[in-house]
Amino acid sequence: MNMAKALTVTDVHKVYGDREAVKGISFDVEEGEIFGLIGPNGAGKTTTLRMICTLLQITSGTINVCGYDVKEQADDVRKIISYLPEDAGAYKDLTGRSYLKFMAEFFADGEKKDAMVKRGIEIADLGDRIDSKVDTYSKGMMRRLLIARAIMPSPKFAVMDEVTSGLDVLNAYEIREIIRNIAKNGVTVLISSHNMFEVEILCHRIAMINEGKIVLSGTPQELKEKYNASNLEEVFVKAVTQ
Amino acid sequence: MSHLMNITKKELKEILTPGAVMSIVVVMLMMCCIGVLINGEVSDASKLSSIGIVNGDEEGEYSDLAIEYIKEVYINNGVDGADIDKYVVILDAEYGDNNAIIAEVQEKGLSSAIAFDPDFSEDITAGIAGTIEKYYVYNNGGIFSTTTSAVNEVLIGYVNTYFSNLLIEANVDNPDYSSEFLLNPIDQSVDLTDINGTVYEGITPYQISTTLMGQTMMIPLIIMIIIIMIGSIVISSMGNEKENKTLETLLTLPIKRTTIVAGKLLASALVGLIYGLAYMVGMMFYMGSITSGISGVNLADYGLALDITDWVMLGIMVFLSIMAALGMCMILGAFVKNYKAAQTMTMPISVLAMIPMFVIMFVGWGKLPIIGQIILFIIPFTHPMMAMNNLMFGDMTLVLGGIAYLIIFSLAMIAVTVKIYNSDILLTGLAQTKTVRTFKKIFGGKKHAE
Repeated sequence: MNMAKALTVTDVHKVYGDREAVKGISFDVEEGEIFGLIGPNGAGKTTTLRMICTLLQITSGTINVCGYDVKEQADDVRKIISYLPEDAGAYKDLTGRSYLKFMAEFFADGEKKDAMVKRGIEIADLGDRIDSKVDTYSKGMMRRLLIARAIMPSPKFAVMDEVTSGLDVLNAYEIREIIRNIAKNGVTVLISSHNMFEVEILCHRIAMINEGKIVLSGTPQELKEKYNASNLEEVFVKAVTQ
Repeated sequence: MSHLMNITKKELKEILTPGAVMSIVVVMLMMCCIGVLINGEVSDASKLSSIGIVNGDEEGEYSDLAIEYIKEVYINNGVDGADIDKYVVILDAEYGDNNAIIAEVQEKGLSSAIAFDPDFSEDITAGIAGTIEKYYVYNNGGIFSTTTSAVNEVLIGYVNTYFSNLLIEANVDNPDYSSEFLLNPIDQSVDLTDINGTVYEGITPYQISTTLMGQTMMIPLIIMIIIIMIGSIVISSMGNEKENKTLETLLTLPIKRTTIVAGKLLASALVGLIYGLAYMVGMMFYMGSITSGISGVNLADYGLALDITDWVMLGIMVFLSIMAALGMCMILGAFVKNYKAAQTMTMPISVLAMIPMFVIMFVGWGKLPIIGQIILFIIPFTHPMMAMNNLMFGDMTLVLGGIAYLIIFSLAMIAVTVKIYNSDILLTGLAQTKTVRTFKKIFGGKKHAE
């Protein structure tokens, strides 16, 4: 694995009014890695992902994505990242194909755009339903379409928030396969999840966030050994309660 | 029943948000203010206004009789006899010198005058209708500005009836007096109206107002409709983006935030223009059918027409006001959480569009107190609504001032919109800002945001 850093988060704070949601977190993600950010509700996961993706301003600290500073070079960061928010939706009046075409317009023209859309349709794998209106899609179909949208421009860095949340076993499995495949093709993936099983089988490394602080980080195996636990769920409980 | 109450309470809580309550209060206050203004105008309009009199027939018996009778009419309508000279003002201007008469009317704060023909008494004695000319200064006001014409006509009508009764009693068997003369001993067919400093013959303020209303009232109505329409489109679009969770994706695409703002503005402006054109065509037919029977006056004959430059200026103002409205809507849209909330958020824009429309329609800019004019000037939608009138009457200070203000206002709104799009507020809302959190902490007790 290439050891260059795709993401470096250094002493990042995020303050909303008088509440500090993120309290000086630091971690890094290597290129081609699938990195999991885990933690309970309200721990600061989504806020962290939103800061990385230029959606929220950083109160203090620095975030560097593939050599670009998020604060100073937000436009450059947006060119190389792809963000899939939790419960994201698509424009309901469009068909799956026209949604992918609309999104591809922002990344390429002409043949390149056509190739991008073709790739998106392949990733979504929705068969002839790709030409149905988005508002007729099931949650699983919608998620596949959105993952296809996120991956088709070949981003360097993909950020996915609760990517399989609410999906059935089969859909969740297929989506995890897609994520593994894109990582194999060199895309760095940062995911957040509540699902410890998913994180354990999918991520190369993880960081656990609680009350705005990183409480532990490492590979799933290292963490299980460190806390003498049989799975990440146990690690999490021990880390939070100790 | 308790289930019904439970659901009703939940629905009320959702519908009656602070924004919705605020909108209702603002609408109520606006209606009260308009009511007070209109009430003032109605009171003014229903009062018998002062009249200037030029007596070209100074030695004549009938002109003196008519003047005395007019004074009596005023006294019978509640005017104190000691103040009668303030209501029936004998002018010094020479009969026939139209400009001097109008100048004196304006100088003495009157809005109309009548002038007795030098042969007035002689004609009546000879059985010919005596001529009384009517002079008006056209006051570019609201609907009630037409009452000036009515006062003159009513007064001369009284004099006509009075003379008719007198002449019939004394000359019922006189073969020199025709029945037509005995019924109408006054000829009041000569109307002279000052419009923008030029005196035109054969037109009354009533005729001008009814014709103008058909043309200039259409603009405020259309502007109001466009603004309410595009306001609803933009705010709902933002509500939809948030409800469908597409906004975050849009904001992480490799495009500048200004492009997103501009795209939304442009699409809404185009839809607004299409709405505007459609309504303009519809309203032209509608208003045309209402006003065509009232007055067949061609305003261009009286210098009240727009040239190409005027139309360009009007177009600029409409465009700028649409941009201002869009900017405001984008800002309001940034705070909506979903489609339902968006519907409530359109209320302030609707109210802001309705205030100038009603005030201009009923009162007119010129009759507002200075504070009213300031408030109206601040509302950006006022300017295109009164632009047509101002351009026709050559009030370029208001037109150019309005354009300058609209440019500044639109740029400020767009700058604020871009700033909001570059800030956290778009995603987190105002609830996460320091001020709101402190406010909630102080007034909301335990309910402050966690």
